[in-house]
Amino acid sequence: MHKLYSNKKVIFTLMAPGLFVFAAAILAPILLSVYYGFTDYSGIGKSSFIGLDNYKTLFQDSVFWTALRNSLFLAIGFICIQHPLAMLTAIKLDKLQGKAEGLFRCIFFIPNVISVAVIAYLWKFIYNPNFGLVTKVLKNLGFTGQLNLLGSGNAIWSVLIVLIWHGFGWGMLIYYTGVKNIDPVMYEAASIDGANGRDIFFHITLPLMKPVIQVNVTMAVIAALKQMETVYLLTAGGPGNETQFMASYLYKQAFQSYKYGYGNSISVMFIVICLISTVALNRIFAERGE
Amino acid sequence: MDKSAIATIRNNPGRVLTITVMTIIAGIQMFPLIWLIDFSLCNSNELFTNGILVWPKKIQWVNYVLAFTNGNFFHYLKNSLLINTLAVVLVLIISIMAAFACSRMEWKLKHAASILMVMGMMIPVHATLLPNYVIYDKLGITDTIWALLIPYVAFSLPQGFFLTTSFMSSIPKELEEAALIDGCGIYRILAIIIFPLMKSSIVTVSIMTYLNNWNEFMLAITYLSSKKWKTLPFAILEFTGQYSSNYAVQFAVMALSAAPALIIYIILNKHITKGVALGAVKG
Repeated sequence: MHKLYSNKKVIFTLMAPGLFVFAAAILAPILLSVYYGFTDYSGIGKSSFIGLDNYKTLFQDSVFWTALRNSLFLAIGFICIQHPLAMLTAIKLDKLQGKAEGLFRCIFFIPNVISVAVIAYLWKFIYNPNFGLVTKVLKNLGFTGQLNLLGSGNAIWSVLIVLIWHGFGWGMLIYYTGVKNIDPVMYEAASIDGANGRDIFFHITLPLMKPVIQVNVTMAVIAALKQMETVYLLTAGGPGNETQFMASYLYKQAFQSYKYGYGNSISVMFIVICLISTVALNRIFAERGE
Repeated sequence: MDKSAIATIRNNPGRVLTITVMTIIAGIQMFPLIWLIDFSLCNSNELFTNGILVWPKKIQWVNYVLAFTNGNFFHYLKNSLLINTLAVVLVLIISIMAAFACSRMEWKLKHAASILMVMGMMIPVHATLLPNYVIYDKLGITDTIWALLIPYVAFSLPQGFFLTTSFMSSIPKELEEAALIDGCGIYRILAIIIFPLMKSSIVTVSIMTYLNNWNEFMLAITYLSSKKWKTLPFAILEFTGQYSSNYAVQFAVMALSAAPALIIYIILNKHITKGVALGAVKG
């Protein structure tokens, strides 16, 4: 029996497809990216090896820093606006019980199942200065000035609003699962001891939700770093490069500016930043947890 | 609503407040979509009237007819369904096989291999956009189904592997051991014993994979050039170019492309909610 469990041939055949896919579709492109990141390849023709020049340029490229700042902006937006709202909604929803609970939970998640392409174009119309929903609402409230929500200064906020709206149900659902896992006996015991709603929230709900909060915060930071598709369709990184993110910027460099080599150096930095952020967040939470 | 229910509500003003607030949030979450459907049934000119929602003078079903006939809607839907189903099946098979090897079998490098497989979760898919383009081009598989299937499977696999591994460790070993004594091989054990026991995780992994890939279009835009394998988001991307001034038709296309996922969600609502919750918390 033991022999069968350590049969090398069986292990190999079981692992081979997974490792092959990983090596071929994730590892190989990353290595190729590292290689191209050291070249000035334009996408066609010949290229030469230019050492660390791309990275030197990258660190002086203001758009790269804008992209990082935008990710940070989104992450803070998610953590400070979306998540408190999602958590409070989840706690309230949990107390609702009955059919209403299921119905609201179902409705809150609906934007998540709708394709990013639909969401991005829909919000482009909502923000449209001529006939958009926001303009109409403002008009009905008596505001008559011109407001370009995707213009300079406003665009990144408009992006944040779309993403908060789109991802709200997802975050809510995870907090909701966290709340559901709290044993109701804890609440009963607390209220017998005379705790009020605020005490219960700060001393029972919040501490017990810690693992879920950590998961959600990590996911929010990663989502903020990985942002591309909504921005690509909503603003295309504009106006100027104001709403550029790392992924949209590397795409632009490679396919619109024909700086394929440079685009790859952004890819490499992108991966490094994602890895560092994930590891750092896990470290921070692991230390706190002890 | 029966009388006792009304009585409990009356007795509990907090509940009324909660329901009111929840309704407002639900309204915010739903309103853009209602607005979308409303205008998809209007004439384009009606968009420029002052009302927030418009009651169309005559319901313009013609928008949907145009969307259907000129949008290649069914062709793209078929591609989306095919590619996503294949991706889900492949992710399931590959991750269950690997999870079994890593959680049950005895070998030296199993921890290193599991960490490697899970590492993929941290890699952003768009970072492979450029190098994969060159690789697929060299292999001659751009504009084929493989250009989408390979990355879709690869980037859903880490999560699938992670979820199946954690579920598998909750399955008691005794069942397999009994089968082993009866002379079953590993593959038969996987197919006959493990697979049926993993139902809930199979649902979770399928849903997560599906949600990951159904809406994807960046890879599709980059790797595909002809209509042959383009997926549902292209119905919108192409239409907005083609009918750039006919807004109402664009709204109809958007509503139409959102419909399949929405219908599936409403039918499988409970499973999806549970799947996402399980998947996200464990992942």
